[in-house]
Amino acid sequence: MQVHTFDVVVVGGGGAGLRAAIAAAETGGNAVGLVSKVYPMRSHTVAAEGGAAAVTRGDDSLQSHFDDTVAGGDWLAEQGVVDYFVRHAHAELVQMERWGCPWSRQASGDVQVRRFGGMKTERTWFAADKTGFHMLHTLYQTSLKYPQIQRFDEYFVLDLLVEDNQACGVIALEISSGELHLLRAKSVIMATGGAGRLFRFNTNGGIVTGDGMAIAYRRGVALRDMEFVQYHPTGLPGSGILITEASRGEGGVLTNKDGYRYLQDYGLGPETPLGEPQNKYMELGPRDKLSQAFWHEQQAGRTGKHGDSDVVYLDLRHLGEAYLQERLPFICELAKAYVNVDPAKSPIPIRPAVHYTMGGIETNADCETSIRGLFAAGECASVGLHGANRLGSNSLTELLVFGHLAGKKAMQRALGDSPCKDGAESIRQLGSQWQERLESMMRGGEPGRPRWPELKAELLKVMEEGCGIYRDEAGLTQALQSIRGLRERYERVQLGDQSQIYNTDLLHCLELGCSLDVAEATCLAALQRRESRGAHQRLDDSCQQRNDQQYLKHSQVFYQGAAPARLEWQDVDTHLSAPGERHYGSKGSGLKGSGAEGSDGGQHA
Amino acid sequence: MRSIQVLRYLPEESPQPFLQSFQVPVTDSTSVLDALNYIKESLDPTLSFRWSCRMAICGSCGVMVNGIPKLGCKDFLRNYPNDLIIEPLAHLPVERDLVVNMDSFLRHLEAVKPYLIEGKNAADSSQPNRQTPAQMARYQQFANCINCGLCYAACPQFGLNPEFTGPAAIALAHRYNLDSRDSGKAQRMAPLNSKNGVWSCTFVGFCSEVCPKGVDPAAAVNQGKVESAKSMLIQLFSGRAIGGAGQ
Amino acid sequence: MSYKPQLTGSWWLKHRFFKAYMLREATVIPLAFLLCSLLAGAFSLQDPERFQHWQAFMSNPLVILVHTLALTTSLYHAATFFVLFPRVMPIRVGNYQLPARYLVLAQWGAVWLVVALFIWLFAFGGQS
Repeated sequence: MQVHTFDVVVVGGGGAGLRAAIAAAETGGNAVGLVSKVYPMRSHTVAAEGGAAAVTRGDDSLQSHFDDTVAGGDWLAEQGVVDYFVRHAHAELVQMERWGCPWSRQASGDVQVRRFGGMKTERTWFAADKTGFHMLHTLYQTSLKYPQIQRFDEYFVLDLLVEDNQACGVIALEISSGELHLLRAKSVIMATGGAGRLFRFNTNGGIVTGDGMAIAYRRGVALRDMEFVQYHPTGLPGSGILITEASRGEGGVLTNKDGYRYLQDYGLGPETPLGEPQNKYMELGPRDKLSQAFWHEQQAGRTGKHGDSDVVYLDLRHLGEAYLQERLPFICELAKAYVNVDPAKSPIPIRPAVHYTMGGIETNADCETSIRGLFAAGECASVGLHGANRLGSNSLTELLVFGHLAGKKAMQRALGDSPCKDGAESIRQLGSQWQERLESMMRGGEPGRPRWPELKAELLKVMEEGCGIYRDEAGLTQALQSIRGLRERYERVQLGDQSQIYNTDLLHCLELGCSLDVAEATCLAALQRRESRGAHQRLDDSCQQRNDQQYLKHSQVFYQGAAPARLEWQDVDTHLSAPGERHYGSKGSGLKGSGAEGSDGGQHA
Repeated sequence: MRSIQVLRYLPEESPQPFLQSFQVPVTDSTSVLDALNYIKESLDPTLSFRWSCRMAICGSCGVMVNGIPKLGCKDFLRNYPNDLIIEPLAHLPVERDLVVNMDSFLRHLEAVKPYLIEGKNAADSSQPNRQTPAQMARYQQFANCINCGLCYAACPQFGLNPEFTGPAAIALAHRYNLDSRDSGKAQRMAPLNSKNGVWSCTFVGFCSEVCPKGVDPAAAVNQGKVESAKSMLIQLFSGRAIGGAGQ
Repeated sequence: MSYKPQLTGSWWLKHRFFKAYMLREATVIPLAFLLCSLLAGAFSLQDPERFQHWQAFMSNPLVILVHTLALTTSLYHAATFFVLFPRVMPIRVGNYQLPARYLVLAQWGAVWLVVALFIWLFAFGGQS
């Protein structure tokens, strides 16, 4: 096993990982390792479409961004963290501009902002409808300026090296050769993205399998608020490919099969005139509410059909070809290629699809976890920004704000802390333990051992049936039981490919192992949270309302090895804004004060 | 169901690549990538290929389909009523099955300093630069490259000379050279002026044909020739040596 | 462990796009022949006998065929070049980028102007 030594190792080469690596390099030290299971520009940040939020206009305020975020998260956000976030958002977007990000502009040359779901004011910076793509490539290209950053592309991180509750490095599989490497470091940053691939219909890339979450979780760090899984209201039927919320921000409307703008029936009205979108009304309501409205329309039989999917329609025709090409060129390309629809001529069939994991690796406000020197940032982390539902266009900004913070803090920790112990013995142990584990998966020819595709198919089915937009006790109990059964069967999993070089069968199998552990945490937290809040909606009689008395708390799930995971509750920081009601549409207007105008909403992508 | 062929290469078993046929289910919307995933999950777990976003933005799944470079996720079986052969991207070393070695591609990208180089007089860095939509329009098209590598598989000059900087990298250099915020053109011209720079291109133009994002790298390379000619003349008249090969 | 298929000399036969490219490059051959013919004509101007030989050479059907070929292939080359030109030298007037098709049309316009000039010179002896 080759051993490499760094000050800081970053796991994940997406937006958060690259931002963290750059911040670490700028903070000092001389060695930052950046490990990613794919080339950095393949990371899923690339698929984010809509934009990144920061208070920009003169008529906007930090308080307003704070209020939107906290109310949008149904008061489950850590308010100190939100406060830090809104205050640092603008500087991060400016930094991206200085690194060359092609933000869309006004005629004057100033940066343009667009409206977004759940946002009171236009504050979303965008680069046409490929914001994540441009941000990721800008970050990747900028990272090339720093010789201190050494990349390990296509290395799959298997585990953390932890000694005396201190992170001391990671063990990784070199995909091209099948060899194990140990990357020692005084601090480690997880920036591995979400877990949308636990579900069948999702907007996420195939790599979004929750690996980093599982790796930290298995080492004892809590997964927090995992029950909050965001459905994006507009995914393409079949594939789940994302149609950005910006298409509604630009004026797109949603209709059911009768051409009726049904959102006015779900507390988001009155109907806004075509071509005059209004913040927080109708199509610019929050994502959770819009996805839930779809479910009700579907129950009432008012959805149309596309293939075998139930769909509603996103109508952009009134925006005109030229405007669509300027603001939403990628949407036009996707609709044409994947559902054969020209948005300038016909409405696009859409349906909700799993989009974002609000929960993740629990960290404090400095992005550090309960393991000293282990940090997390981006979608894999739960720093406490999003609460029960993420505000649209907050996550691209989150990557930057908290990627930066994690990188800086991790390097400071690495430079300040005494080095880990020599650790030769624990390194040897970790290496041989994984060697053995991989060999046992490879060992073929034993009858009755399952393979990963069948387990994965079951996982997707279980999560869709038991842990969807609406949930109940019976469904969740069943789902949790099934997941535990799958975890047991996974212990005996066997590969169909015994080779060393680019063994993608092995990779997918390892990813599934991570997904199963994360799925258990998700189902357990969803079962135990007997209320409805944000993206977590229960149909059971006593659980249909938010219940602050009992559940104004974060869920924390702890890994227990082969035994069932354990759940605890943790207080929420609400010291800046007392819980209030979320209102949108006409109910939301006229109310003043913190939170009363909450929204939540879409996000980037 | 229909039959498709995939060029396999299993270096641990045989040094020879071989064609293998598979029967896959098809609908009107089955992409080449869908077919490969079906094979992997249901027929042959040893088939290796890269993929992720399945929406033509991450650039992972480039393959040759009937000899033409394509993104697997954005090319559909319905386009090929007859034979369908899937092979790894041309002109790059093949590591296994459809997985090619991207090292040289990344090396070329990195060599052109593809990042904003601000001048000494750059304004206060706490404020964004101004850039009008017209200034943006000059480079925007070239900023849409997803680094999928299809243009390298389309370029016979790269096939003959792997040291050729190549379409995507030159397009990226050109993107920054055209950016009103950038002052790094002089630094980027050295590799572009060299013998493996823009002048290795003979304007076959197939790179732009296969580009899934309409970047038109051939235009970038040939605009680069105009720039290169200018910069070499300037160097000539200012009495400095021409070239800078290998810098 | 990796393998890399080598490009063979026949790479350009594999796709019609490459064949069209090779055809474009090959247009230089008849054109070179035409230019040599014209150079020979220029040299033979000093000597009446040589000039007669040259005239006979020029009226040989094979030579006429090659020269006709040179004209057609040059027009083909021009057509491919004219399409490429706006991509290599995009022309901007202020914030407005001239659409490619205008540039292509302008180039063909220039070709016809030259042709018209020659017709006027040779067919009408420069008189209207």
